[in-house]
Amino acid sequence: MTTGRDISFFFSPKSIAVVGASPTPGKHSHVILENLKRIGYPGATYLVNPNYASIDGSKCYSSLNAIQDEIDVALFVLPAPIVIEIMERTENVKGAIIVSAGFKETGYAGTKLEEELKKIGERKGIRIIGPNCLGIYDSVSRIDTFFTPEERVRRPKRGGLSILTQSGSFAELIMDEMASKDIGVARIVSYGNRVDVGETDCLNFLMDDEATKVVVIYMESVDDGRRFVEVASRCTKKKPVVVVKVGKREAGVHAARSHTGAISGRYEIYKAAFKKAGIVEVDGFEGLKDACKVLNTYELVDGKKVLIVTDGGGVGVSMADACENFGLEVRKLTEETRKRLSSKLLGFSATGNPIDLTGSVTDEDYVVALEEGLRDAFDVVIVTVLWGAPEITEGLADKLKEVRDSYNKPILICSPSCAFTRRMAQCFEDNGMPVFFTPESAARAAAVLAGHWR
Amino acid sequence: MKKEEAKKLVSNALAQGRHVLLEPEAKALVSAWGIQVPNSVRIKEIEDVAVALKAVTPPLVLKVVSQDIIHKRDVGGVITGIDDREELSKALREMKETLAEKAPAARIEGFLVEKMVPTGIELIIGGVRDPQFGPAVMFGTGGFAVELVKDVSFRLAPLSRAEVFEMMREVKSYPLLTGFRGSKPVDLEKLASTVLKLSKILLEIEAIKEIEINPLLVCDVGAVAVDARVVLQ
Repeated sequence: MTTGRDISFFFSPKSIAVVGASPTPGKHSHVILENLKRIGYPGATYLVNPNYASIDGSKCYSSLNAIQDEIDVALFVLPAPIVIEIMERTENVKGAIIVSAGFKETGYAGTKLEEELKKIGERKGIRIIGPNCLGIYDSVSRIDTFFTPEERVRRPKRGGLSILTQSGSFAELIMDEMASKDIGVARIVSYGNRVDVGETDCLNFLMDDEATKVVVIYMESVDDGRRFVEVASRCTKKKPVVVVKVGKREAGVHAARSHTGAISGRYEIYKAAFKKAGIVEVDGFEGLKDACKVLNTYELVDGKKVLIVTDGGGVGVSMADACENFGLEVRKLTEETRKRLSSKLLGFSATGNPIDLTGSVTDEDYVVALEEGLRDAFDVVIVTVLWGAPEITEGLADKLKEVRDSYNKPILICSPSCAFTRRMAQCFEDNGMPVFFTPESAARAAAVLAGHWR
Repeated sequence: MKKEEAKKLVSNALAQGRHVLLEPEAKALVSAWGIQVPNSVRIKEIEDVAVALKAVTPPLVLKVVSQDIIHKRDVGGVITGIDDREELSKALREMKETLAEKAPAARIEGFLVEKMVPTGIELIIGGVRDPQFGPAVMFGTGGFAVELVKDVSFRLAPLSRAEVFEMMREVKSYPLLTGFRGSKPVDLEKLASTVLKLSKILLEIEAIKEIEINPLLVCDVGAVAVDARVVLQ
């Protein structure tokens, strides 16, 4: 890529200026200042507001140009027309994050302002994130430009997940969700109206970003279709990219004169693009949560054969149904394996796939079932644990972990039920095994690993 | 017809202010890229019937040629199962009458007398040029109810042969192609080549906005484009 498209400085800024800084608690710009402090942003923070000499004991500058320093990132929290005025005058800014709303999303006048903003950015060589966005949350470089108070939307710990989104509300939702699930996040970028920086430039950066292990994209539309496919294709060779596409009903070819044109809604073409690029598509918010959870622990697998081990017949069958629905293959065990299993397990256990260990199960039965079942070359395993079976213990988590590590196969736990079960789920989570609370969500997550989501 | 001549059909149509190729033009175009089309001849009047029968042997199908008619069947613009000269003359007379009634305003550019293709599996292959992602190719179950059944798969062009096979496997009627209840499996490699040819046309002729072969009839003689449609930008 040309250096002109490089946006890495946004994720390691030596200086951040908050333009429109306010001393009033609760104001967006004040929340941002507090968040930058709380996360411990290590660079220089400059406050800009001609109406104050200082805010909270820090010097306040009358303008960006009054700062005797190169500003890597200028954060704009001001009415749209004023943003344009300041951008026009500024001389020392490399990148801008424009939090302000009042642009294209508001209609004709706003659209004109946005066009002007784009031109200014291009003319001055200032890269722009936004407008109408939350900007960047970065646990690696310790940046938090979100104007949401931390006590209302919790921030996730540092980890390998990076999230790109047009929607700010989505950024908040997933952020809070990841924090509550204790899933670590590297970088979140909310680019709103996307006048300049979008998913393609971000992906181009995240592709070689060592802190990022998995990329998640919430997409309403694509910024630059062909280039996105090209960049994403390279990225998916290095790390998984998961996408949630919303706005699926958008019509395709306008006034089509062929069946092909009439059938090809935009979504069909998006789907084709995701396939081309090797992107794993998930459906909706639930799908995304499951994907984040499973990819936080496991890498993608090469096939779609799933082994199901359960201690409840009904849940096992519904698990098998869910797996088939999500495009996984629930293949029967070989005759040889079945024979070996029958000789090692209680007489009334079912030795197909699912392997049903019944309510008389012990911790050791799970181990036997897995060790024998895995001889049949499965790609991914779902273990259903219903805690109603009286003989299983907390020690099960350790045992399953051992099997997983020695066979090197991803094991997903499905443990549907309430209070006691939820408490026991912690044993698995502590052992680094993701727990899902419905057969559908476990199957969906396994399908993500198999990359065979439809 | 050579590719260069076929490209001229496109530029000529555009020069005439037309955004749809006539069926004979569309077929000439796809055939220039090596896609199989039925033997045919274009006629205007009853007097041409004898000449037509020298060029194409029955059974025949008669189709109207008009840039104003998108769905020929709906206005009586297709008559099948014609076995001799008498039937052809009768069919032509009938078609003219029906068209005069059902599509009075349509400009009639002539009639296509075409060799009927033996029955087979009806598929659809098509392509669109997406404003964001560029050329995309579709494969699916063909016929007149395509939009109802919607059993199709898309990929971005250019396509690899492996991707064509993925598309084929994604449609529900795939088992029909590999042999279903005693039917003979079709030559999938040949079929894949046909899809790749269509993809090539879309990539090589920028002016094409939509292209479609429906039905693409897969039968003993191969994969034949029974009808073709090309929409220009």
